[in-house]
Amino acid sequence: MDFDTYELDAAFYDEMFLPDGTPRGHCRTLYESLLRLSSEELVRMQERVSHSFSSEGITFTVYGDDEANERIMPVDCLPRIISAAEWRQLEAGLTQRLKALNLFLADVYGPARIVSDGVIPVDMVRGCPQYRVEMRGVSVPHETYVAVCGTDLVRTNEGFHVLEDNLRVPSGVSYMVANRKVVKTNLRRLYRSCRVQEVEHYGRLLRATLHELAPREESDPCVVLLTPGVYNSAFYEHIYLAHEIGATLVEGRDLLVDGGYVYMRTTAGLRRVDVIYRRVDDDFLDPLVFRPDSLLGLPGLMGVYRAGNVALVNAPGTGVADDKSVYAYVPDMIRYYLGEEPLLGNVKTYICRRPEDLEFTLENLQDLVVKRVGESGGYGMLVGPASTPGEREAYAREIRGNPADFIAQPVLKLSRAPCLIDGRAAARHVDLRPFVLHGRETRIVPGAFCRVALREGSLVVNSSQGGGGKDIWVLGE
Amino acid sequence: MMLSRSAQGLYWMARYLERAAHLCRLMQLQVETLVDRPLREIHFGWNRVYSSMNQSPPAGTLEAFGSDDYTLADSYTLADHLTFEPMNPDSIWNCFACARENARQVRNYISAEMWLSLNMAYLRLQELNIQEIWKTTPESFYAGTAEEINTFTGVTDATMYRGDGWHFIQLGRYIERVQLSASVLLSQIDAREREDESFDADWANLLHVFHAFDAYVHTYSVVVHPGHVLDLIVTDEMLPGSVRRSLDMIGAVLSAIGPGPASRSSEEASELGASLCALVREGRNGVKAWHAALGRINVDSRTLHQCVTDAYFDYPLGTQTVH
Repeated sequence: MDFDTYELDAAFYDEMFLPDGTPRGHCRTLYESLLRLSSEELVRMQERVSHSFSSEGITFTVYGDDEANERIMPVDCLPRIISAAEWRQLEAGLTQRLKALNLFLADVYGPARIVSDGVIPVDMVRGCPQYRVEMRGVSVPHETYVAVCGTDLVRTNEGFHVLEDNLRVPSGVSYMVANRKVVKTNLRRLYRSCRVQEVEHYGRLLRATLHELAPREESDPCVVLLTPGVYNSAFYEHIYLAHEIGATLVEGRDLLVDGGYVYMRTTAGLRRVDVIYRRVDDDFLDPLVFRPDSLLGLPGLMGVYRAGNVALVNAPGTGVADDKSVYAYVPDMIRYYLGEEPLLGNVKTYICRRPEDLEFTLENLQDLVVKRVGESGGYGMLVGPASTPGEREAYAREIRGNPADFIAQPVLKLSRAPCLIDGRAAARHVDLRPFVLHGRETRIVPGAFCRVALREGSLVVNSSQGGGGKDIWVLGE
Repeated sequence: MMLSRSAQGLYWMARYLERAAHLCRLMQLQVETLVDRPLREIHFGWNRVYSSMNQSPPAGTLEAFGSDDYTLADSYTLADHLTFEPMNPDSIWNCFACARENARQVRNYISAEMWLSLNMAYLRLQELNIQEIWKTTPESFYAGTAEEINTFTGVTDATMYRGDGWHFIQLGRYIERVQLSASVLLSQIDAREREDESFDADWANLLHVFHAFDAYVHTYSVVVHPGHVLDLIVTDEMLPGSVRRSLDMIGAVLSAIGPGPASRSSEEASELGASLCALVREGRNGVKAWHAALGRINVDSRTLHQCVTDAYFDYPLGTQTVH
């Protein structure tokens, strides 16, 4: 394979090449190996990779107007490489950030010092739809509200930035491992020679984390993974994780509350449940407390949780800390709780509830990405440069109607990495989502789910919007 | 001990695959009759397929013997309905889709090899349609699909841990087999009574459905006698697809699983299984006597399914053991 037609653009950081076109030091081995492979070999490899995902049923679900479609996760077979030094920097920044976020949650559901000290406006916290008054005063083991965090990171010419903290039910880790398994078997010699750090032990780390949060001293607590069911977009991941951590995959209808405890229904009778790794949103967890029409959760669950008789991971109410408006204050939280400067920067964010930010946003819609604070997955956002005047006008009306519902950010110059497109290497925009675990201690596997915008020029990496996956190789020391 | 809903998923996965395999065998023989058999036999065959699935052919088909052209056109429609029709809950396509959907939900209880085997078969089926298989030899399609189910069964046998999950798979498989066997045998006897005693060509054909032709020739002779066919298919303990063997397996599996949380339903399931075993072991003399016995097996096997459901999957709360 040659890179003769590979386009470099100084506006975007390239993950493999320096601006002068020479490969970065830590990418040289990959680059030279790819040069030795013919395009036909790589195309065949890409086919094997896709076929493997198809036969193993590694899928996600996309919701159409009237039905849910199971789709194979597209995966690009060329790995993206991160050096050991870069990873150390990321690891430190992620650990620091999650520590501050957990302290923030303990604070806002407790004394709320950060609010009374005026660091974050009170309405930003209490007015957030994800703030759960039901969590006030609840004792959470080790004050770990967020035990599983999937942080979206992007790289620009200025370095890494946090784009989003996913603190509720972050997904994608199964694709990280699946990508690794299939790519390493297809690039076996290269993989061995690169001394890549493993990610396959994520399940063991998650299991250890969940066990640390069990409410009773048990050598083998009963852990279940609560899924919304087979039609959920991440159902494959739920199956995968339940298998990896040795948990029973349950739906709300498999559980019941009796005498202050949660039980699951087995073929031999009821079994008490200690830890629920829930992949169901807060709103649906308990119809007696949250949405009364929910059929996905368990009536009475919050009562058992508040009594300390079952652990919920992540804790309800963590969404207040990954709200798109509150996000802008995370660097301040780090300074406030830890007395440290943030190791990972935020993306400049305009909070439309602030009059000056609203004005700026409305005047510069064509240059900004505007997002609804309550949406995720790439839905409901306006990408200014790709929008028509009519779309901008309609969106502006919506922003004026409820400014607090929107934030705006500059269009990010997401870094690009070589992908195999139609048998040739082509630059595509990428981000990465590393997963951070925290029970008593913080654990991070050296890797991430790398999302790639497979459409030429697109900056939207979400799988539901034409994005795919890519393996990330974090090199050993 | 396993999650009730997962046990139920394994049970139904096995039932759907058994149903698909049964239909494949019937269809393979049926499309063979289209080559050279008289129209009367072709019509009989289609009616047998439908009645063994407790269904009737879609309205407008098989209304008259008509000509070859009408019958062959009807056959194409019926084959499509029984093979690929998503609205037909018992079509082979639907059985695979349901088996795969159940398997997808219980992937943690089955081996990776089982999932791969089933998913590959399902994906292959997704790429086919009736036009495609009708162009060449539809027999090969049905034989190949039955073969894929056999492969899945072999993979299951070779790779699955013999825990509760395994037992619920066996339970589903054998309860489905008893129900389908009773239905197809009853429809065969009913058709014989409707037609006349000379119309016995399909009894040999029926032996093939149960993989019993060689065993029959070995045990009796090449002369096919309905009473002997029934004796063999229902009572023979060495024939893998016999009703007796299936009932013996059900008894063994229920005993291995042990009583469920709803003890009354568990007991009822065991008692019912035992009484059906005894019924089959007693034997019968002649086709009419078998008709009555098979009628009871048909009804009781459905009750047995309900007892299993009540005992292990949907038991009432309040009286169960707490672990």
